[in-house]
Amino acid sequence: MAVRAEEIRVTGARPGLVARVRALLDREEILGPVFVTPALLLLLLLVAYPFVVALYFSMSNAFIGRPSEFIGFRNFVKLWESDAFRQTFQNAFVFTGIAVVFKVVMGIILALLLNEQLWFKRLIRGVVLLPWVIPTALSTLGWWWMFNSLYSVVNWTGIATGLMDPPGPNWLGQRYYAMAAVITVNIWRGLPFFAITILAGLVAIPKELYEAAEADGAGANARFWHITLPLLKPVLAVVVLFSTIFTFSDFNIVYVLTHGGPINSTHLFATLSRMIGIDTGRIGEGAAISLYLFPLLAFVVWAQLRFVRKQTF
Amino acid sequence: MGPVTRRHFLTTTGAGLAGILATRVPPARGQQREISYLCWNNFAPASDKKMAEIGQRFTKDTGIKLKIDHISHMGPQQAKYASEVQTQAGHDLVEMRMHFPWLYEPQLADVSDVVTGLEKQYGKAIASSYEGAHIKGVWRAVPQYHGMFVATYREDLFKKASLKVPDTWEDLYTAGKELKKMGNPVGIPISQNYDSISTAGPVLWSFGGMEVDKDGKTVRINSPATVQTIEWYQKMFRDCMEPEVLSWSDASNNESIQQGKAGWIHNPVSAYIIAKQRKLVTADGINHHRSLGGPQGRHETDTPRHIGIWKFSKNIDASKEWIRYLIGKRENYDEYIMAGDAFNLPVYEKLQDHPVLRTDPKYAALKGEGVQYHTYGWPAPPSDKVQLITNTYLLPNMIAKAVTGTSTKDAIAWAENEMKKILAG
Amino acid sequence: MTVARRPFLGKIGKHLLLLPFLVFALFPFYHMTLTSLKQDRELYDRFAVPLIITQGPTLEHYTKLLWDTDFLIWTKNSLLVTGLSTVVSVVIGTIAAYALARLKFAGVAAFGTGIFVTYLVPTSLLFLPLAQIINWIGMGDSKWALVLTYPTFLVPFCTWLLIGYFRTVPKEIEECAMVDGATRIQALWRIVLPIAVPGLVCAALFAFTLSWNEFIYALTFTSSSEQITASVGVTTELIRGDIYFWGSLMAGAVLGSVPIVILYVFFLDYYVSGLTAGAIK
Repeated sequence: MAVRAEEIRVTGARPGLVARVRALLDREEILGPVFVTPALLLLLLLVAYPFVVALYFSMSNAFIGRPSEFIGFRNFVKLWESDAFRQTFQNAFVFTGIAVVFKVVMGIILALLLNEQLWFKRLIRGVVLLPWVIPTALSTLGWWWMFNSLYSVVNWTGIATGLMDPPGPNWLGQRYYAMAAVITVNIWRGLPFFAITILAGLVAIPKELYEAAEADGAGANARFWHITLPLLKPVLAVVVLFSTIFTFSDFNIVYVLTHGGPINSTHLFATLSRMIGIDTGRIGEGAAISLYLFPLLAFVVWAQLRFVRKQTF
Repeated sequence: MGPVTRRHFLTTTGAGLAGILATRVPPARGQQREISYLCWNNFAPASDKKMAEIGQRFTKDTGIKLKIDHISHMGPQQAKYASEVQTQAGHDLVEMRMHFPWLYEPQLADVSDVVTGLEKQYGKAIASSYEGAHIKGVWRAVPQYHGMFVATYREDLFKKASLKVPDTWEDLYTAGKELKKMGNPVGIPISQNYDSISTAGPVLWSFGGMEVDKDGKTVRINSPATVQTIEWYQKMFRDCMEPEVLSWSDASNNESIQQGKAGWIHNPVSAYIIAKQRKLVTADGINHHRSLGGPQGRHETDTPRHIGIWKFSKNIDASKEWIRYLIGKRENYDEYIMAGDAFNLPVYEKLQDHPVLRTDPKYAALKGEGVQYHTYGWPAPPSDKVQLITNTYLLPNMIAKAVTGTSTKDAIAWAENEMKKILAG
Repeated sequence: MTVARRPFLGKIGKHLLLLPFLVFALFPFYHMTLTSLKQDRELYDRFAVPLIITQGPTLEHYTKLLWDTDFLIWTKNSLLVTGLSTVVSVVIGTIAAYALARLKFAGVAAFGTGIFVTYLVPTSLLFLPLAQIINWIGMGDSKWALVLTYPTFLVPFCTWLLIGYFRTVPKEIEECAMVDGATRIQALWRIVLPIAVPGLVCAALFAFTLSWNEFIYALTFTSSSEQITASVGVTTELIRGDIYFWGSLMAGAVLGSVPIVILYVFFLDYYVSGLTAGAIK
């Protein structure tokens, strides 16, 4: 059982030390570090170290297969002069901002609905989960097929129902439509994550609170704003945090649907970094693009976590 | 749940640790030599199968084991190469497309001896192979085959409307107007993909223009030829094409002509061959004609492919033997080319009139008489700065701007500015 | 209106409200499935109605996928890699979360924040230096490299999630157990974990999905057909230059998701019912 595994790991099955080890492991100051060590090791070796290397890349003129030299912040400065990069910078904020807002609002609504007594509950939950579960590389291709200028089912349906004039918008070929398209796919894919996690938060709210409020005469609206939302804040805060980070660094959707176009209007940091870093071999610049927002995001993470800690304690 | 997974975790970590401690060096291969080759998934699955067959014969004849791995075209391929180069480990032989040898030059072994031998047999390699793989006097990869762009059109529609088969880009405009009226517009992409560059290049070259000069340092995009190019594209976009071309991917033009919409596209033979294989209604109507010319000559995009050997490979000689076996032995090379159904064409002078072109009369245009073939960025040598210009799609983006409202002057000025910045480094 | 009728109408209303969400979620999948069942002739016919099959369905895309490619091997690889990564990550995450949620020791706060910072480094950047490490260990071109590297982006999320769950377990229960003579570890194993099972299931489900969908590491650390995962294999084999084999690609999407959905639906039911059963006091 659990204890024997500890023995094997720590003592190599020498029965004499069992009692002493057990006592040791019972102390917080020992158990704590022991328990976090695997995670710590994993992250130090396979994330921190590569991150430091990547940081070095971003401050060097690293090029595939050639020796590199340290050049300080030159990459970062030079990037700002590139039209494509400035456009990317703007795109990333627009993309992430709109997508996350939609996901939060729709996620809450969906979670509230899923929390109710429903017919075909299992089926409905399965359906809601589908976008999250389909392999991303393939679902994005499916969307490309849907937005395809030749066979676009979106346009076909729009025209058939009279909502659009033929031939319908050129989804992936026009600036704002393209951005709308990639945001839509991101929302489609990310909504289940929000809905299910918020649902978990909802379920954890004790029913007694609602009952007491109802007894006091509070309507559904009031119950939502004064009970549900405040109690959801910690869950929301961290879900928004994760989603913001994932959305900012999204790669697949833009890469498959628009390759960053039309005219760089949908490029995100990850896709631009890939194009310049890998496709052209300029690893240094590619790394600089990826890391451009690192200080900002680090600050956001820190701020969010302080907020969450304050909330839960 | 707990103990079992902990034990499992322990064993996997233990195995990993044992791995580190015991074998930092790959196991000695012993007597048998082994090489591995990474190439892309060819348009024609049959040619991949044929290569595997030839590979097995190679092993029987020479005793060298050969492992062939495939990877997807472009994007994933470069990520893979980047990681192999960074780790200095991976495959021995790698497929190099177009100008990749320039990008990876310091990492590729010198294969001039192999190429010299092949040239003795088959005559000189074609110009675009030189452009792509012959760097500073040294061959960094062996020219393997190529698949050039060619005009693909709906012959039946042209006949029905009594349209003259175009010979120049201006002819295309004349025919294109009629085609669009018939509901079968011309399909040339103007988006962030390589097909866009593959057409914009030839048009620009045919008007005598270029992005960067031969010296690789001077930006020449701001020229009357570019103005002519843009004006051509503007009238094509207005009268012969539909706005959807702004969103096209590399596959879109194929699909457009395959399912009957486009009347004329610019593409390698993949569009026709797939239509044939899938027995689509349009297959019979599709044919090819010689690449279009302009006032300054007849230029076309070529996609030569070469085989390179990483310098870090421990089996450079064995790898060279494989190349010599595949390409150097006439029977093998012929078999391989034939299996490709005209997707893969030989790249040596004496083999240009290959039997594979006669397997279907519609391949006649691939002979490309009087056509000059180049890779992207011509005439500038594809240094990494020039490749950056290509890979950031400056040329198609300039045209896209010009056809969607930006003035010609501004579009050119933008492109010139961006190119200068890139070359300035 | 009587009290009895209002809830019913309300119920219909709720289902109606759900409808757009369901359509939004389901439609692309429906379209993909349809595409995978259409004959090539109809697929490439631009005048065909995209919403239904008019020329008879076909299973040729599925048979092509299953028999002409190594799809079954790739799926086996995906399952193996995903399953192992999930298990490893949940275990590491559980013990780390327990420590961060319950125990006081040096560096708690720092470590807690540090975990999230790792998410700021995108895999599209990390893969290159990581490839060097993997190669150094001798695991280049191996699915075990994925089992080693996937936990790097799974563990932080699992840890966070489980910290939340562990915090909802009242300390008193554990303290009672320890007063009764159990060690901390025994208390964890026998008392806390059972209560936190829904959290564990949740963490496992998300870890499973994230690894199942991962592409960049899978592409970089595996090459041969016997080692690659399903998404890499399908996109490599069925996208050749400018030729997309749409029918089979969509078949791959369908086959790659249906079994997982069934798995999910089964566990999700358990998870939510576990919560509402009042396990948490």
